[in-house]
Amino acid sequence: MAAFAEWLQATPVSVTIQSVKWIVPLLQAIHILTIGIVFVSSVMIALRVLGKMRADEPFAVVWGRFAPWLWGGIVVMLVSGLTLVVGEPIREFNSLSFWIKMALVVVGVLSTGVMGRTLRPAGTTVGTEFSPGAKTSAIALIVLWIFIIFLGRAIAYDTEVWGSWSLHPPT
Amino acid sequence: MEVPAIIQTIQDSGLAEWMRTSVKAMPIVEALHVLAAATVFGTIFVVDLRLLGLPNTKRPFTRVSDEMLWLTWSAFALAVVAGGLMFAANAVTYYGNTEFRLKMVALVCAGINMAIFQGITYRSVARWDSGVPTPLAARVAGALSITIWVAVICLARWIGFTKGYNFDVPQDIELDFKF
Repeated sequence: MAAFAEWLQATPVSVTIQSVKWIVPLLQAIHILTIGIVFVSSVMIALRVLGKMRADEPFAVVWGRFAPWLWGGIVVMLVSGLTLVVGEPIREFNSLSFWIKMALVVVGVLSTGVMGRTLRPAGTTVGTEFSPGAKTSAIALIVLWIFIIFLGRAIAYDTEVWGSWSLHPPT
Repeated sequence: MEVPAIIQTIQDSGLAEWMRTSVKAMPIVEALHVLAAATVFGTIFVVDLRLLGLPNTKRPFTRVSDEMLWLTWSAFALAVVAGGLMFAANAVTYYGNTEFRLKMVALVCAGINMAIFQGITYRSVARWDSGVPTPLAARVAGALSITIWVAVICLARWIGFTKGYNFDVPQDIELDFKF
């Protein structure tokens, strides 16, 4: 893994990303802007599951309004994120937060898919009350995204955050 | 660069000292700032899209703004608190940073855009609330808002790459940067 990261960091693509001044800040800005889109879309859907917002519309309509942005945003984040990793693979691979974040992203994406599949057919009329399980899942997904955001910031602070569990090579 | 005494006082405060020395404080505050700022942008984006008549004008603008803006303001408050703490920790550096200053200007522009919309354009909302295209002033406000907030976030990220580095290198000195 370390050898792969070192090899990747030396490739022309990676070197370009590292050396052209505006690429990394722009990618990070895109990443943050799409956090806004993905997170808020997810919050809106969750609030609808809880019956707290747009309760006058069937769940399927609210899903239809926000899910395309959620999925589109996730795609943009995967592309921008991947490009950022290609630019600094050693830093990312040496961060425990990064690996946990990737695992949680997989969980979040799968959960969103399951939520759409199970709740949309059930929520085609106004007034559908969702089960406590569905409501808990909706809240859990929001909490998951928040954890992911914190882990994203923590990548740069691996030893401060994780202490002896940090993946940074000992100095 | 003249640093006003108040900036120095903020940087010398106990709170600022705590932010600088506490190991966990800075990452947590920064993460909260990202979460809050992203939420501000995400919620404003929904409202601005509706001002632009997207995805459609079926849902009344007033309902959309009621649904979103409570979250916008809550998130903005959190962003200001977190931002204030980050600023305090390195007040002198941020004060002198061009991108930080531009970001503050952009925030003021966002506020002016909002004030003009609320004070003037919104007065006629009953006429364009739903089912009809939004007036030009509303569309301009929405487009400007998106542009300004994207600029705020881009500038904000740029600060991280430029703070502390806006000095002139003396002519005859070779700087050796080891990253």
